[in-house]
Amino acid sequence: MPQESRFEGDSRMNQLLLPIRFRMNGQECRAEVKSNELLVDFIRNHLGLTGTKRSCDMEICGTCTVLLNGEAVSSCGMFAFELNGKELLTIEGLARNDGLHPLQESFVECGGLQCGFCTPGMILLAKALLDENPNPTWKEIQEYMDTNFCRCTGYQMIIESILEAAKKMREAS
Amino acid sequence: MKPVIGQNIQRVDGQEKVTGKAIYTGDLKLPGLVDGKVLRSPLAHALIRRIDARKAESIPGVLAVLTRENCQVATPYFGAMIKDQPIVALEKVRYAGDIVAAVVATEEEIAEEALKRIEVDYDELPTLLTIEEALRDDAPLIHDKLQRVRVPEYGRGATYHLHENSNICHHFRYQRGDGEKALDRADFVFEDTFVFPSAQHYSMEPNISVASLEGSNLTIWSPTQAPFSLRQQVSRVFGLPLSRIRVIVPHVGGGYGGGKGVLTSILAVALSRLVRRPVRIAFTADENFKTISQPRAKLTIKTGVKKDGTFIARRCEVYLNGGAYVNSTPSVAEKAGYRMHGPYRIPHVLTDAYAVYTNCVPTGAFRGFGGPQAAFAYESHLDMIAHRMKIDAVELRMKNLLDKGEEFAPGDTPIDCDLKGALKWLAETIEWGKKDFSPKDPRIKRGKGIACGVKDGGGTAKSANAMVKILIDGSVLLSFGSVEIGQGVRTALLQVVAQELSIAPERIQVAELDTQYTPFDQATNASSATSITGQAVQRAARDAREQLLSAAASVLGTQRSGLSLEDGVIISQGRSLTFQEVMRQYFDDTEPEIVGKGFFKFPRDDRIPLGSPSPFWEIGFGATEVEVDELTGGVKILKYVSVTDAGKMIHPLQCRGQDEGAVLFGIGQALFEELVYKETRLINPNLVDYRLPRFRDLPQSFSTHILEEGGGPGPYGAKGMGEGGILAVAPAVCNAVHNAIGVRIQEVPLKGERVWKAAVRNP
Repeated sequence: MPQESRFEGDSRMNQLLLPIRFRMNGQECRAEVKSNELLVDFIRNHLGLTGTKRSCDMEICGTCTVLLNGEAVSSCGMFAFELNGKELLTIEGLARNDGLHPLQESFVECGGLQCGFCTPGMILLAKALLDENPNPTWKEIQEYMDTNFCRCTGYQMIIESILEAAKKMREAS
Repeated sequence: MKPVIGQNIQRVDGQEKVTGKAIYTGDLKLPGLVDGKVLRSPLAHALIRRIDARKAESIPGVLAVLTRENCQVATPYFGAMIKDQPIVALEKVRYAGDIVAAVVATEEEIAEEALKRIEVDYDELPTLLTIEEALRDDAPLIHDKLQRVRVPEYGRGATYHLHENSNICHHFRYQRGDGEKALDRADFVFEDTFVFPSAQHYSMEPNISVASLEGSNLTIWSPTQAPFSLRQQVSRVFGLPLSRIRVIVPHVGGGYGGGKGVLTSILAVALSRLVRRPVRIAFTADENFKTISQPRAKLTIKTGVKKDGTFIARRCEVYLNGGAYVNSTPSVAEKAGYRMHGPYRIPHVLTDAYAVYTNCVPTGAFRGFGGPQAAFAYESHLDMIAHRMKIDAVELRMKNLLDKGEEFAPGDTPIDCDLKGALKWLAETIEWGKKDFSPKDPRIKRGKGIACGVKDGGGTAKSANAMVKILIDGSVLLSFGSVEIGQGVRTALLQVVAQELSIAPERIQVAELDTQYTPFDQATNASSATSITGQAVQRAARDAREQLLSAAASVLGTQRSGLSLEDGVIISQGRSLTFQEVMRQYFDDTEPEIVGKGFFKFPRDDRIPLGSPSPFWEIGFGATEVEVDELTGGVKILKYVSVTDAGKMIHPLQCRGQDEGAVLFGIGQALFEELVYKETRLINPNLVDYRLPRFRDLPQSFSTHILEEGGGPGPYGAKGMGEGGILAVAPAVCNAVHNAIGVRIQEVPLKGERVWKAAVRNP
């Protein structure tokens, strides 16, 4: 039966494991990943980093945003093996030894979060923005952040959180 | 001690949420946890002739297949108000997406393959997608027999009408004065009809539940807004005592009324019973769209007006397209109906509001609960009357707005804030009457619009409990059943306890929500957490304080009246004692707790239309300036000002967050959110085709003005304010579009195509 053989074929594909090396939140890592495994599932299920959330599964909402070599990507739209040779930053790796990252502090202080489900992705996207542009205008933040959705806050307080974090970071440096 | 109320203390869940440590249901890891997947009907209305799962069951790795053949439960139907929805389809399917079977396998891929092997033979039935089709005399019945959980008991002026052999599942009528007859006494009578879209809540966290049955003890983890009513529903379906069902609510990724967790929990329990392992049901985005939606509404208003603009009578009809299963939609119909006269003085009113079964996606509560639909209709209608009578729209509102202290409806709570003052402020802020002709491009036109919405807030006859424990080390544990859905309830109610016990907020911990330990709370809806649960919390804190001070009086051998709490210690005639010192001595060096309890419930009262007083009036006034592109029909909101009344702000930052978030919901429904069907299928069940508001949709100028008029029933005069912000958006924007291009649009969302067509038709 063709249906059956297709299923078995898929099963074998699942078993095809690819060795990868990468840096995860500053640590050297090696893993074997299924060839068809999505990056978001690898991060959540194998690395156990459940701060990365999934929502739309179509690379639209930005909830699953992580940074790969400093660039914000939707982890639901990539395979785990694409991590090979790259540096991964998830929300769990953002806080430093001496405390929260200024973005994390300001999201709490300025009302940049409510239910918190979009927050990890939102903060990581904001980090990518501030790495590129440490002194963004309100309008620049609005345009840069447009790829990530929040259903709670009404967005304005997220923009204010990022402005505040940028100010703190400029003052500290 | 400096006051805690009104301070933006750090939200208690903030740190966990910004570090990724907050655990949501989907993050739980349990030994042996397996995923369940569901098979959905491709047809919108059909009898199931045969269902055969044998091939699916024979696939290695498949643990169980649930169909009608093995669905052995106490009662297979569930529902918030009408038990209309089966766990899996029994004799028929009622919408494209209805659940026919569910599979659990050792791996997700195997479960998905098994779904394809389930054989189902259908006999198609005629489909009814619109209200008009469902109400035709020859329309087939979507549900043959219905079991109502309860029939509403209304008070003065409101009645419930049962329609036998009809697709109408709820009919609410409200009448006062001479009702419709008084229209004869008007100088002018105007009638208009409006349509408000079906929308998807789209909380970023999808519908999900985990259920685990061990022996006869059941545990459910779910992001529900109503853990106690979920427990009740599970108890009825599976015939389990309430005491054996434990619902734990981890962090919740947004609610907005979407009834998250009910269907997924019931399915997870059913499957967990079959496989005797913990089962997770996590819907995909596509499945969420096909689970529940806001009912599409058609609203007709006829208003009788005197020559000077005074409203004297109103007749309304509201029809909600309830879809295949109606959850709370009967209540939404009731509330939309009750609110149809708006914040205006209209002595004679007759309103009929109906919820109707169709073969669309099921419906239920949605942030605003009928309020946005009603406000869209009555505030667009008001502007249309003003235009026809050549009266200024703000002036017409001023003439008819209720005064503070005036009853919204005979018997109900008087209006608790200055509506006219709010409107006056809004008109000044938007520079009402001043037209901006600055766009250089002749096809771009600007216009301004205002709308004034109110809804009864806090629900009807709701009750809540709370518990405040003072522990021997002086720290405090607060426990209540309102769900933290992002609104900040855990922080705000902690502030209430800090204030009542005069202690630093850091000394208080809010307990996790677990129905096995947490005292009962009706549900987290209707903007009720601060005002209803807040009162239970305040009472519990006061009870604990009294017990502590009585203990102190006994220890010191003094009168209770001479004692007070200040800055975290007990003060007696200049002497201060810690909580610990008092408790140790009073309880003979054992290590006890002081347990303060609080209960609050609004009483039933048959003199009031809905049978219980509206706890408060949630205000949603808004003014906007828009730009319309006459060539494309594109509408852009340049400016939006929202006015609401918090009564008293416990946490001002969170209040602002509630109002701004609500306004964005309003913007979504005003401009682009709408579920679209082609023939019988929902064709935009994903975020590519269903447009959510995003950063770029923020108005260039957007502000909220939160009044604190102290008139709420909650602690320190607080009201709820989670929904008001939505009310005015759609009508204000439509009024502004009319002001810009002279074209009246009576159906939202204002997609460019719709505006363009209307503009071309009425140049």
